[in-house]
Amino acid sequence: MKIKKALLKDTFKEIKKSYKRFISILLMALLGVGFFAGLRATSPDMVDSIDTYYKNQNVYDIEIMSTLGLTDDDIEALSNIENVANVYGTYSKDGLIKTSDKEIVSKILCVEDINKPVLVEGKMPENVDECVVEEKFLKDTDKSIGDIIEIEPETTEGEETEYLKNKTLKIVGTVESPLYISRERGNTKLGTGVINYYIYVNKENVNSDIYTEIYITLENSHKYQTASNKYEDYVEETKSKIEEIKEERENARYQELIDEANEEIAKAEEEFNTEKQNGEAQIQEAENEITDGKAQIETAETEISSNETKAKKEFANAEAQIESAKTEVAKNALRLNNQKIEAEKGFEQAEQQKAGLQSTLDNINNAIKITENSIAEKQNELQTAETEEKKESINQEIAKLQAEKQVYETNKQSVQAGITEIDNQIASGRAQLQSAEAQINSAKSQIEKQENTLQQTKNKTNSQIASSKKELEASKQEIATAEAELEKNRAEFNSKIEEAEGKLIDAKEKVSEIEKAKWYILDRQQNAGYNSYIQDTKSIENLSIVFPIVFFAIATLVSLTSMTRMVEEQRQEIGTLKALGYNKIHIMQKYVIYSSLACIIGGIIGMNIGFQLLPRIIWDMYEMMYTIPEFIVSFNHQYSSIGLGLIYICIVGATLYTIIKEVKNTPANLLRPKAPKYGKRVLLERVNFIWKRLKFSHKVTVRNIFRYKKRFLMTIIGIMGCTSLILAGFGLKDSISSILPNQYEDIFDYDIQVSLKTSLNQEQKDRYISELKQKEEINDVLETYMESATAERDDKSETVQIVVPKDKNEIDKMIKLRDIKTKEKFELSEEGIIITDKLAELIGAEVGDTIKITTSDNEEKEIKIVEITENYISHYIYMSKELYQQIYGEEYSTNVLLIQDNDLSEEQEETIMQEMVSKNEVSTVTLTKTTMKTLDDTMNSLNYVVAILIVSAGLLAFVVLYNLSNINISERIRELATIKVLGFYDREVYDYVTRETILLTLIGIVLGLGVGYFLNSYILGTCEIDMLRFEKVIKPISYVYATAITLVFSIIVNIVTYFALKKIDMIGSLKSVE
Amino acid sequence: MAYIEFKNVCKEYKMGEIIIKALDNTNFSIEKGELVVVVGPSGAGKTTALNILGGMDSVTSGDVTVDGKNVAKLKNKELIKYRREDIGFVFQFYNLVQNLTAIENVELATQICKDSLSPDEVMEKVGLSDRKKNFPSQLSGGEQQRVAIARAIAKNPKLLLCDEPTGALDYKTGKQILKLLQDTARKENMTVIIITHNAAIAPMADKIIRFKNGTAEKIEINENPIPVENIEW
Repeated sequence: MKIKKALLKDTFKEIKKSYKRFISILLMALLGVGFFAGLRATSPDMVDSIDTYYKNQNVYDIEIMSTLGLTDDDIEALSNIENVANVYGTYSKDGLIKTSDKEIVSKILCVEDINKPVLVEGKMPENVDECVVEEKFLKDTDKSIGDIIEIEPETTEGEETEYLKNKTLKIVGTVESPLYISRERGNTKLGTGVINYYIYVNKENVNSDIYTEIYITLENSHKYQTASNKYEDYVEETKSKIEEIKEERENARYQELIDEANEEIAKAEEEFNTEKQNGEAQIQEAENEITDGKAQIETAETEISSNETKAKKEFANAEAQIESAKTEVAKNALRLNNQKIEAEKGFEQAEQQKAGLQSTLDNINNAIKITENSIAEKQNELQTAETEEKKESINQEIAKLQAEKQVYETNKQSVQAGITEIDNQIASGRAQLQSAEAQINSAKSQIEKQENTLQQTKNKTNSQIASSKKELEASKQEIATAEAELEKNRAEFNSKIEEAEGKLIDAKEKVSEIEKAKWYILDRQQNAGYNSYIQDTKSIENLSIVFPIVFFAIATLVSLTSMTRMVEEQRQEIGTLKALGYNKIHIMQKYVIYSSLACIIGGIIGMNIGFQLLPRIIWDMYEMMYTIPEFIVSFNHQYSSIGLGLIYICIVGATLYTIIKEVKNTPANLLRPKAPKYGKRVLLERVNFIWKRLKFSHKVTVRNIFRYKKRFLMTIIGIMGCTSLILAGFGLKDSISSILPNQYEDIFDYDIQVSLKTSLNQEQKDRYISELKQKEEINDVLETYMESATAERDDKSETVQIVVPKDKNEIDKMIKLRDIKTKEKFELSEEGIIITDKLAELIGAEVGDTIKITTSDNEEKEIKIVEITENYISHYIYMSKELYQQIYGEEYSTNVLLIQDNDLSEEQEETIMQEMVSKNEVSTVTLTKTTMKTLDDTMNSLNYVVAILIVSAGLLAFVVLYNLSNINISERIRELATIKVLGFYDREVYDYVTRETILLTLIGIVLGLGVGYFLNSYILGTCEIDMLRFEKVIKPISYVYATAITLVFSIIVNIVTYFALKKIDMIGSLKSVE
Repeated sequence: MAYIEFKNVCKEYKMGEIIIKALDNTNFSIEKGELVVVVGPSGAGKTTALNILGGMDSVTSGDVTVDGKNVAKLKNKELIKYRREDIGFVFQFYNLVQNLTAIENVELATQICKDSLSPDEVMEKVGLSDRKKNFPSQLSGGEQQRVAIARAIAKNPKLLLCDEPTGALDYKTGKQILKLLQDTARKENMTVIIITHNAAIAPMADKIIRFKNGTAEKIEINENPIPVENIEW
C-alpha cells in the first residue's frame, strides 16, 4: 500500500496541531510499555544478576552435608557421578568472638575455589593468621582492617576442641559472600543462638580432616540460568543420582567411624591391659620388697639378741677373772704388809745398831778432832818453838799425835763401813719391800686396767647393740611406710583401673550409640538468602503481571476516547477526502499512522526508560536486603516486543475501531455535521421526588454523567484503578505490619525461649525451673517438648515444629490455640493434633484429615487433625503429652522452656539472657523481641512494594484524569463557551464541568476501595511466603489514605483543568459549526 | 450621551508576523430600545464589534460605553458580570446545551441572573410552551433558535445581541425568528442588535449600521421601520 504524500504531510501537520492528544496517547504507550517492560524485566534482571554473580563466584549447584562429616572417599564417590564437574570439600564452623562490649557469633568459612567471596577491600587471607570479614562486621564492632580478633576456644562436652590452629586473626580485608546475600546468617548453638556474621580464613588454618560440607558444581549448569526450570530439573536429576549412592556413602562413613572407634578402643584396651599388668607387677614388686625387708629385720633382730647374750656372757667371765685376780692381789698385799711390819722391826734394830755406830763414829770424830786440834796446836808451837829440839820434840810429839790420829782414822773407817753396811741392809730390805709393794700395785693397776677395758668394751658393745636396735627400729618404720604407700598405690591403681575400665565401657557404649550418618543433599534453594531472593523475584514477577494489565486497559480506554474525539473532529475532512475519491484505506492511514507513531515512539521511549529505571528503582529497594555486587540491567527484547505489541494492539486497535465506524459512512453524511449526542432523560428523572429536589446544576451533572458514558466509564475505571492500587498498597503494609504483633504478641505470649541441654534429668530441670520461677523478673515458665519434623499430605510437605507441652492445660498461658474467625479456644486432646492454618492450606489438609509426620529420627506416623489454629509465622503442630506418648511410645522429656517475664525492657531481657546462657542447664536462649526485630527488617522490604504501588497509582490517576479532563473540555468546548458567554464565572464554569468529574471520582473511589480489597487479597496471595500467613486485613485508616491520596491527585488535575477552562476562547469555539 | 457608544474603537489581531485590523477606528451609537441591524460583507468587522459589545472580546484602543459603563475598561471578572447581567446572546448555530431540555437551557441562563424572567413565561413568549420539555435534538432549527432567544431574553438583559440568527434557517423560519426579535424589541423595549449579511432585512430596523473594511461606514436612522412580515427577500 502506497502512502500518499499529501496524506502523510497532513498526518504530520495533524500531529503538530493536536500535539496534546498525540502526547497523551504517546504517554499512555510510554507508561504502558514502560511499566510492562520495566516491571517484567525486573524479575529476570534480578535473576540474571544473581546468576552472573553465582557463575562468577563459582557457586555450588549441590551441597552435601552429613551428620557425621564427609571424607575424601565421599568426594571420590561423588566425582564419579554423571554430570558432576567438580567436587569440593570444605570446612565451616560457628565461632564465638568476644569484643569489648559484646559476644558475637560468626560463621567461620574457608576461602576456596568454590563459592568464592568477592573482595571488597584489602586482600584475601594468605596466611593462617589472617582473616577477612564482611563490612557490617567492621561497622558493628568498630574494628578496621589491620585489627586483631580472637576466636574463643570452643568446647564440646567439656573438652576443648580446636577447629582453628590459629585463633588470633588479623583482619586483612572485607568480602561479600555469595552464600550470604541476605542478612540471614543462620542459627547456631553458640551464644544467643543466632549467627551474626561470616568470616573467611585461610584453609590452612583449619584443624580438621573431615569436611563439614561438600560442594558440587555440575558440568552443564553454566548453560542454564539459575532458578530456571531447566536448571532446577538438571540439578534435581543429578541430585537423584547422588541419592543413589547416598546410602552406601552413609553406611561407609558410619562404618569408618565405628571401625575407627573400635580400633581406638582396641588400642586403648591393649594399652589399658599392659598398663594394668605393669601396675600390678609394680605393686607385686613393692610387696616383695616389703616382705624381704621384713625378713631381714627379723634376722637382724635375732642376731642382735644373740650378740647381746654372748656379749653379756663374755662380760661376766671377764668380770669373774678380774675378781679372782683382785682377791689374789689382796692376799699378796696382806702378806706383803706382814713382811713389811717384820722388816720394819729389823730396820729399827739396824737403826739402833747404826745409831750406836754413829755415836762411836762421833767419838772417834771427836778424838780425831782433838788430835787434829793438838796437832794444829803442836804445829802452832812448832812455829812458835825456836829451837830445833824443841821442834824435834814437838815434831815427835806431832808424829806421835799423827800416829794416834791414824789409829783413830782407821777406827772411824771401820765404824763408817759398819754404818754403811747397816744402811745398805736397810736399803735393800726396803727395796725388797718396795718391789713387793710395786708388784702388788702393778697387779692392782693391771686389774684396774682390765676392769676399765672391760667396762669400755661393755659400753661399746652396749651402744653397738643399741644402735643396731635403733637401726632395726628405723627399718621397721620404713617398711611400715612402704606398706602404707603400697596400700595407697594399690587403691589408686584400682580406682584408675576402674576408671579406665569405665571409660572403655563408655567408649564402647558410645560406639554403639554412633548414629547412622545422614546425608543432606541440598541445592541453592536451601540457601536462605538465595531462596528468599528467588522468592522475591517471583513475587515481583507476579506483580508485574497485574500492573501492566491495569495500564493497558487504561491506555486502551484513553486512546479510544482520544481517537474517537479526533475522528469526530475530522468528520468533515474524512467526508471531503471520501468525496474526492480516496478509498477507505487511504483515509484510515492517517489515523493509523498517527496512533501508530504515538504508540511506537511512546513505546520505545517507555521501554528504554522502563528497562533502565524500574528494575533499578526496585533493585535500589531490594539492595537494602540483598548484597549482590552488581545489578545487571539488560534490554529484554522479548518483553519489549510483547509490551509494544500489546500496547499497539490496544491503541491502534482502538483507533481502527473508531475510524472504521466512520469511514463506512457516505461522504454526504460525513460532510454534514454529526448529529450531536442527543440529550436524553435519565432514569433518575422518572423518580420524580428525587429529581424535583435536585438543584438545577445537579440535574445537569446527572444528565451529563449518563450522556458521556465512555468518559464516565473511563474516569471511574481510572480512579478505581488508582484507589485500588493505593489501597492494596496500604493494605499490604497493614497485613505485613500486623504479622509480627499477631504472632509474637497475640498468639505467642512468651518473651524468652530457652532450650535445655538434653543431658539434663527431670530433677535438674525441676530445680532449674523453680530457680527461674523465684526470680522476680520472671512471671511464668512453661515446660514443653519441641521437635522439628516434616508434615506431609498428598506429596506436599512442609517443615514444622512439633510442640508438646508438659501440661496440656497450661499451654494457653503462652500459646493461644484458637479458631481464626471465631477466636474460640481449642483444647489439646488425645484425639489428635492441632495444626496451624497456613500449614493446613499448604498441604491441603482439613480437620478430620490424617497427615504424615516424619520426625528427625525418621519415624513416620499418621496422625489425625482435630483443629486448625490461627498462626502467622512458621508452621506448628500441637500435640498433647498423652497423645505423644501414645503415638511414639517414648518416654516424654521436655527440652524447651517458654518464659514469660514481667514486662522487662529490652536491656533487662538481654541481661537475663546473658545470665541464662551462662548456666549449665541452658543450651540456647532466644528472645522474642530479638526474633521480632530480625523479622521486622525482612518485612520492611515489603514496604517497597507499597511504595511502588502508590507511585504507579499516582501516575495512573494523573494520566487518566488529565487526559479525561482534556477530552472533556475539547469535546464540550461549545457548551463551555456558551455558558461562559452566558456569564458563568470561572468558578461556576469549573464547577459545571468538574462537578461530574468529582462525582465520578467519588464513585471511582468507592468502587476502587472495593476492588482494592480484592486486589490486596490477590497481591497478598502472590507475595505471600510459605512461612508466613498474611492476615487479609486493611485498617480503616488505609481506606482513608487511599481516598485522600486519590483525591489529592484528582484535585491536582482539577486545578490544571481550572486554568484550561479559563483559557477557553469563546468566540473561536462558538463560530465553528459543530 | 447615547445608550451605547462606540468611540474610536480599534481592534487588532496578531496572526504571526501580520497584524490584522479587524476594527479600525469604529464609531457608532445606539439608543435604548432601538432595534439595530448591522450589515456588511464577511470580514468587515461586524462580528468583532458585536463581540466587543457583548464583553466577549477586548478592544485594542477606544471606548465602548454601555449604559454609562465603559466596557472596554472592564476587568475579566467584571466583564463576566457584565455578560451575565446585561447581555443576551443569540448565535447562528443556537449553541444550546444538547443535554438539557428546552426549558432547562433557559434555566441555565436564569439561574445565574438576579432579575431573570420566569423560564415558563419566556417559553410562552417564544411560543414553545408545549415543547419546553424537549431536548434540542427533538426540535427543529427554528424552534432551537427560539429556545436560544428565550435563553437570551430570560436573563432580562439590557442588550440582546444576535449574530446571524437566521443564517442557518430557511426563509420562513428565519422570518419568524426576526419577527420574534422585532416583537421583543418593541414589547419589552429591549435594545436589540442583529448582525446579518442579508441587507434585505435592514428595513425592519430603527437604525442600520453598515460595516465595511473594519469600520462603521454608514449609519442610517430608519424613521419608519417595516414589520418583518412585510419584508420580502
